[in-house]
Amino acid sequence: MLHKSIPILHSLRFRLIASVVTIEIIMLSILVLNNISIIHTTHTDRLRDTASSILQQIANTSGRHMVAVDYATLEAYLSNTLHYNELAYIVITDRDDRTVISLGEAPKQKAEIDTHPKQVKDGIFDVTDDITVADQFMGRVWMGFSLSIMHDAILTSRNRGITIALIEIILTILVTVIIGLGLTRRLALLSSAAAQVEAGNYSVSIPTEKNDEISQTATAFNRMVAEVDNQTQQLKKAEAQSSKLLKENRQLIHTSLEVQEQERKYLARELHDEMGQCLTAIQADAELIRDNSHGNSQLQTSAEAIINVSSRVYDVVHSMMHRLRPSILDNLGLVEAIKEEIVGFENRNPNILCECKCSADLNNLDERTGISLYRIMQECLTNISKHAAATEVCIELSNTDKIILLRVSDNGSGFDVDTPVRGLGLIGMRERVSSLGGELLLKTEPHKGLIININVPLHTLEQTQKVKT
Amino acid sequence: MFVLNGKTRLNLIGIMSLILISGYSVNSRATETTSCTPLGPLTFGILPFISAEQLVNRFTPFAQYLHKHLKVPVRIETAPNFLQFANRTRDQQRYDILFTAPHLFPQASKAGYRLIAGVNSPGMRAIFVTPKNSHIHTLSDLKDKRLATVQPMSLASLMIKKHLNDNGLKPDVDVTLVITPTHDASLLSSSLGITDASSLMRPPYEAASQALRDSMRIIAETETAPHMPISVSPRISTKCETEITALLLKMDVIPEGKAVLKHNRFAGFKHADEKDYQRVRDLLRE
Repeated sequence: MLHKSIPILHSLRFRLIASVVTIEIIMLSILVLNNISIIHTTHTDRLRDTASSILQQIANTSGRHMVAVDYATLEAYLSNTLHYNELAYIVITDRDDRTVISLGEAPKQKAEIDTHPKQVKDGIFDVTDDITVADQFMGRVWMGFSLSIMHDAILTSRNRGITIALIEIILTILVTVIIGLGLTRRLALLSSAAAQVEAGNYSVSIPTEKNDEISQTATAFNRMVAEVDNQTQQLKKAEAQSSKLLKENRQLIHTSLEVQEQERKYLARELHDEMGQCLTAIQADAELIRDNSHGNSQLQTSAEAIINVSSRVYDVVHSMMHRLRPSILDNLGLVEAIKEEIVGFENRNPNILCECKCSADLNNLDERTGISLYRIMQECLTNISKHAAATEVCIELSNTDKIILLRVSDNGSGFDVDTPVRGLGLIGMRERVSSLGGELLLKTEPHKGLIININVPLHTLEQTQKVKT
Repeated sequence: MFVLNGKTRLNLIGIMSLILISGYSVNSRATETTSCTPLGPLTFGILPFISAEQLVNRFTPFAQYLHKHLKVPVRIETAPNFLQFANRTRDQQRYDILFTAPHLFPQASKAGYRLIAGVNSPGMRAIFVTPKNSHIHTLSDLKDKRLATVQPMSLASLMIKKHLNDNGLKPDVDVTLVITPTHDASLLSSSLGITDASSLMRPPYEAASQALRDSMRIIAETETAPHMPISVSPRISTKCETEITALLLKMDVIPEGKAVLKHNRFAGFKHADEKDYQRVRDLLRE
């Protein structure tokens, strides 16, 4: 079946579904990467904003304490602020840059100030701001925010996002595959139906319950299959009629050939029995008249003329008898008849060397096979004489228990087998062979001679008579 | 190669001379000093009679004026409350220039502070105010009422208590005193209905918004006390003290000083006598 022979990678359904799934995976992956980036940015921005807010708040609040040098109150206030999870340390320096308050895990040396959590290298986001009152510098607040909590939050968010995305991808693949298979199911039906049509089953029909492109294609397919079925049926009928006509024609030809041979045989026998006897009687009477003319020269001359004319007529009749039905075929068999024909051919065509390799033992050959092979051989030699311009001809006749092989070859001009032949000789040979149930094969090319191989079943005379009986 | 003609050469010499002169001038200004300069940054201690923010805002031009002329940074500093301010003054002599309450100066004087000037003012009075829609019209109406006041150590608080006593009202017995951190806070207490009346110094009341003042009524006023003195710590040299005194006394004369005084809502500074402040202390001790 056609749909079974399609590799899965070449399947339209597979490629369609795989393409959609691939696109969805790519889009979801981009979405996940984007979300991870957004999560990271959101957390870092949140920390930055939180740090900025707390820093600003402390800077604003600390001003009055710095003016009042009320570090105890300020420290108490800042201690509460230090409870904020991400806050690692708070340091307050006065106007002379002396540390007056230090809470948490403050660095021993002043930390390098970071402008954004993304720039942090030591795990602490260090920020600072001036403490001012009425635009007067009163000191500076330094704060450090640990990134570990933020990193944990980012990691958690990222893992959660990836997990959700993976589930989403799996669900998307499942849904896409299910929907894809559902949507493309009718494509598979179409493919299967096409395969059945290819196998010769024109009774297949695809459901067209929906009004979409596939249903329209299916409708067109069904119409096309019905039309092909109709055309095929008509072709089969026409083929059967043609075969019947051909068979009848062949039968007619075979019958005609047999009738022709029978007619020829009848004519030859009539010529021999009637005309021959009459001419012999005429010739005998003419000789009697001549011998009893007794010096009557005029009578003697007329008798001689009758003898000569009758003798010539006899020769003509004999020749006609030979052409109609060579008596040697009936008397001595096919091999001798072929040899005699070759002798006659050589006499008529002294420039053509004709070789005969007749090793067949065909003494008991039935008459129909013999006359058919003889006529075929005659037609071959006639064609060679007329068209081949050959210098060498070889005729081979052999047989086995079941078949007779006749091979006629020459070194003549040959011909193109694809070029239609105007004469009926070759067609006649084929029909004669066909009527015998044999096979005729031609092997020729222009300027490379011609080989005709004929094989026919060997039917003995007894077999033929048994069949007739 | 450039070839300078005579005129161009003269111009170049002139330009070079100007650069050298201007450089010398700038350098000389940069190295200009006073007798206070060697002392390093001076701490200007101001009594926390108003909030720290207000205090800095109000006295920053004053500090900048001193800084500019003394050629030494002058830093404003205060304390969380009157008591700590007084203690830091007495125990640490923390403030190089001291601007404190009249009744606290004698204690500072004992710690070595030297009086150099006082605010040029007829004196300070504390007042009693109530909202205009209040039924309190006289001091006697305050009996069994809630009176907002300022820090107990402040001059205003002491003067108010004395005035209540003088008028037959025992503080915290006949009148419930509600302590607020500043004069403004005291004023707002009765304005917002938190207390029945408020007591504060007159200058902060005058500095309040017109709308607020229009909604209030003055029902009593205390005696007059001398305005706040300015003194210097023992660390300040005599020469530096003299320079500071001169700067203060001429403020109401020069435009720059006038501008500062206007911002501070002071008329100016005058020579002061320690006896005046000792008298206030004695008066309040009564």
